[in-house]
Amino acid sequence: MFEPFAEVPAYPLVFPIFWGAAAFFALAMARHLRVFAVARPSRPFANIPARLIGLVQYAFVQTKMFKDMRAGLMHAGIFWGFVLLTIGTADIVTGGIVQAVLSAPFEGALWAAISAIQNVVALIVLVSIAWAYVRRLVTRPARLTFNRDALVILAMIGGVVATELLAQTAQVARYGDIRGAFVSNALAVPLRGLSPSALEGAFSLLWWGHIALVAAFLCYLPFSKHLHIATSFPNILFRKLAPRGELPQMELEDETATFGLKTLQDLGWKDLLDGFTCTECGRCQAACPAWATGKPLNPKTFIMGIRDMAVDAEHGIDLIPNSPIVRETYGLDDTRPAAAALARPIVDTAIPYDAVWDCVTCGACVEACPVLIEHVDKIVGLRRNLVLEESRFPAELTPAFRAMENQGNPWGQPASARTDWTRGLPFDVPVVADLAAAGGLDDLEVLYWVGCAAAFDPRNQKVARAVATCLHAAGVNFAILGQEESCTGDPARRMGNDYVFQILAAGNVDTLNRYAMGERAIVTACPHCFNTIGNEYGQLGGAFKIVHHSTYLAELVASGRLATLPEDATSTTGDHRPGAVTVHDSCYLARYNNVVTAPRSVLAAAGVTVTEMERSGKATFCCGAGGGRMWMEETRGTRINAERARQVVETGAATVATSCPFCMVMLSDGLAAADGGQAVATLDVSEVLAARIAAAPPDRRLPVIAG
Amino acid sequence: MRIVVLVKPVPDPASGGERLGANGRLDRAAVPAVVNGNDEYALEAALKLTAAAPEGSEVTLLSMAPASAPETLRKALAMGATRGVHVTDPALAGSCAVSTAKVLAAALKQLEFDLVLAGVDTSDGLGGTVPAAVAAYLGLPFLSYAARIEPDEPAGTVRVRRISPTGYDLLEAPMPALISCTQALGEPRYPTLKGIMAARSKEIATRSLADLELDPSTVGGAVATTQVLATKVPPARGATEVVRGTPDEGATRIVEFLAQRRII
Repeated sequence: MFEPFAEVPAYPLVFPIFWGAAAFFALAMARHLRVFAVARPSRPFANIPARLIGLVQYAFVQTKMFKDMRAGLMHAGIFWGFVLLTIGTADIVTGGIVQAVLSAPFEGALWAAISAIQNVVALIVLVSIAWAYVRRLVTRPARLTFNRDALVILAMIGGVVATELLAQTAQVARYGDIRGAFVSNALAVPLRGLSPSALEGAFSLLWWGHIALVAAFLCYLPFSKHLHIATSFPNILFRKLAPRGELPQMELEDETATFGLKTLQDLGWKDLLDGFTCTECGRCQAACPAWATGKPLNPKTFIMGIRDMAVDAEHGIDLIPNSPIVRETYGLDDTRPAAAALARPIVDTAIPYDAVWDCVTCGACVEACPVLIEHVDKIVGLRRNLVLEESRFPAELTPAFRAMENQGNPWGQPASARTDWTRGLPFDVPVVADLAAAGGLDDLEVLYWVGCAAAFDPRNQKVARAVATCLHAAGVNFAILGQEESCTGDPARRMGNDYVFQILAAGNVDTLNRYAMGERAIVTACPHCFNTIGNEYGQLGGAFKIVHHSTYLAELVASGRLATLPEDATSTTGDHRPGAVTVHDSCYLARYNNVVTAPRSVLAAAGVTVTEMERSGKATFCCGAGGGRMWMEETRGTRINAERARQVVETGAATVATSCPFCMVMLSDGLAAADGGQAVATLDVSEVLAARIAAAPPDRRLPVIAG
Repeated sequence: MRIVVLVKPVPDPASGGERLGANGRLDRAAVPAVVNGNDEYALEAALKLTAAAPEGSEVTLLSMAPASAPETLRKALAMGATRGVHVTDPALAGSCAVSTAKVLAAALKQLEFDLVLAGVDTSDGLGGTVPAAVAAYLGLPFLSYAARIEPDEPAGTVRVRRISPTGYDLLEAPMPALISCTQALGEPRYPTLKGIMAARSKEIATRSLADLELDPSTVGGAVATTQVLATKVPPARGATEVVRGTPDEGATRIVEFLAQRRII
């Protein structure tokens, strides 16, 4: 006769205690969902296979956790321990069904193996918990939030595991070895001499202590930051699958709509889920360049602020919901989210006004987050509301907005000056409109999308000349749009002005389609143009194949179309070998669009050896110009470009290679201020390559390249 | 408070393409038009004054401009003006400042207002005489170079801080009055999207010379008091040299630079 837990006094009480706690947990979670119901709909249901693969990758294998290897191991220890120990808990709360079933195969060997594994992971969890306590009480990494919640949760997990292990130990000491439970069996050896009644008492106390802690944990969890154990799975499943650089589309013609994000109700429920998933691990905070330079923006407190707002809105909702029939019968009102909390603006509640504008939209927070929370889209959403509804933004942005609206570029330069950079080149740069008029468009291989920075900023005009020189030297049949090009709208969009973005973008889509540019490659040296044309113009009906110049130039070299000088040769234009080189990755190139190796391939083709910075590739540190910050004063904290310049100088490199016009401006300025002179040069990868073009005929030589 | 703001569409100064046609008149097709910068400051001042006392307040834009002007006027309406009055007539082409003032005065006679605000000058003509001339035609007090405007509605007066060569003059005049506005009044607002949407359906009334009961032979190019004989584009600025380095290096380079040009 199968009699599970016969040795446990009053065992049947487990059922009301555990399942009561479980019901409380479910009701508290359902109350969270009542607030979700007043949020805007999110529809993250497309592409289920990719979502499931992501669930395995991020929720079970937890790849992002291991970027901080030690914290990752600790977390994996607790996570897997917890998962495996749940088998034992499931057995207890189901009256031993689990054991009954799993004991059947192989004459109980399977259950014995499970018991052994549980013993091992119990020890691993306890060691991990101890480690977690050391981090919170002794080493105290800056990114963590230190509050009682974390200590309570750790104590509960530790308690649950310890009581389970020790109860088993007492059981073994009193009733004899349990097959497979080798740790308990060993621990019980010195206890065997104790009186049976003492062991029975200890066992009862520990066993019931374990159940009490499990129940308490369930009741505590919905109100704790530790809720991520329940929410991270759906949060990862329902993550943004669109390119990370594609901001949400915006409907501007609905006069009754709220533009952008103002209150909790303007967020999607997925945004609220983000809030309930945040565990305050602070990886976003540690990665944030604004926070690193002493600005009020903290991505972690922003997300937690959204969660706090959602919790505030729950006040007024009863834990046990009434059904409509019950309400009707007894004349009760439905309890609803607190209206005042729902009407409260997010800005200056969850995030300070200044912090909204401190964001460089570099995406380091999103990249760092182990549970795939989206910070940037929400911050841009807040900007949209401030700009489009309240006309409330840093004063410096007005001229930039007006210049984009009136002149089609944030520099406020006339369109007629767009081809000024071609002056002084020893060859002609054809303009698409001229080619079309002459019927020469069919032979066009590549459209070179110059971008406003390279067209108007004197330093970046040199980069445009280097790019054109490389294309020309490789014999690429390319042309530019000239006066017909305008700003892609990236800065306007990321500053929250989607109205100006949509005007500019629609104009460009129209121009590009008029010349059938969807049928050939578009090459640009600007990662912002690259991201917007490639990832965002689809929202306006544009389908273009855009290639970053680093990728294109690397291909030209690889395919043999562009020959470079042997390593020991001196360039025909004088030796511009840039000495020791480090690479600064652009956020919108590396992090947003995964272009990491191409700039390095270009440098390798130029015979350059690269010394990497600590923050490189997808973990790069922003130059400070993203998200429209190029056109804002940086008055709070220290300067982001100065911090990045410091990191550049630390490598000892003589040159920092960039592949973005904004990075070029910010790093040149930062380095000039950092070392008081030009000790470290800033060069675009195309400039480094252009200086090493082999056997360039005299008319294809680059006239000027050094910084 | 009812305020009329005089507004002129001008070629975008930032476009750099402003040029005169063969007839000495502005080639308006060459560059996109924007609201004259100083007029935007006047409009901003008007919007702030009416927002302070919204009861019965309105801001009317008045513009004498070619037929294409409404597109530009909508941008000013988007900032928050109530409505627009657009005076346009083929006979007005080539008008001088005197004609312009005469026409605007005639249009103002048909409007009710407590104040008329205008930018101190326009970025295309830069004459700066029209506001004073309009005031003269209508016999209104004229308060120029306003850096601050403080109306006292119960008393029916307005006080203006007028920028003077030595500081400020404090002027007071009975309303209605005409005030020419400077940038010291405060940055013009950037329109909200709702403002842009609302502007699409705001009224822009069109007035011809006949509507204003003006004889076409008394205004326009034919009777212009001034004529443009020739224009010259200023030479492009030379290259800029930025001096970087330690203070000593910088100073040495600057001295060299000045010495080369025999300035020192």
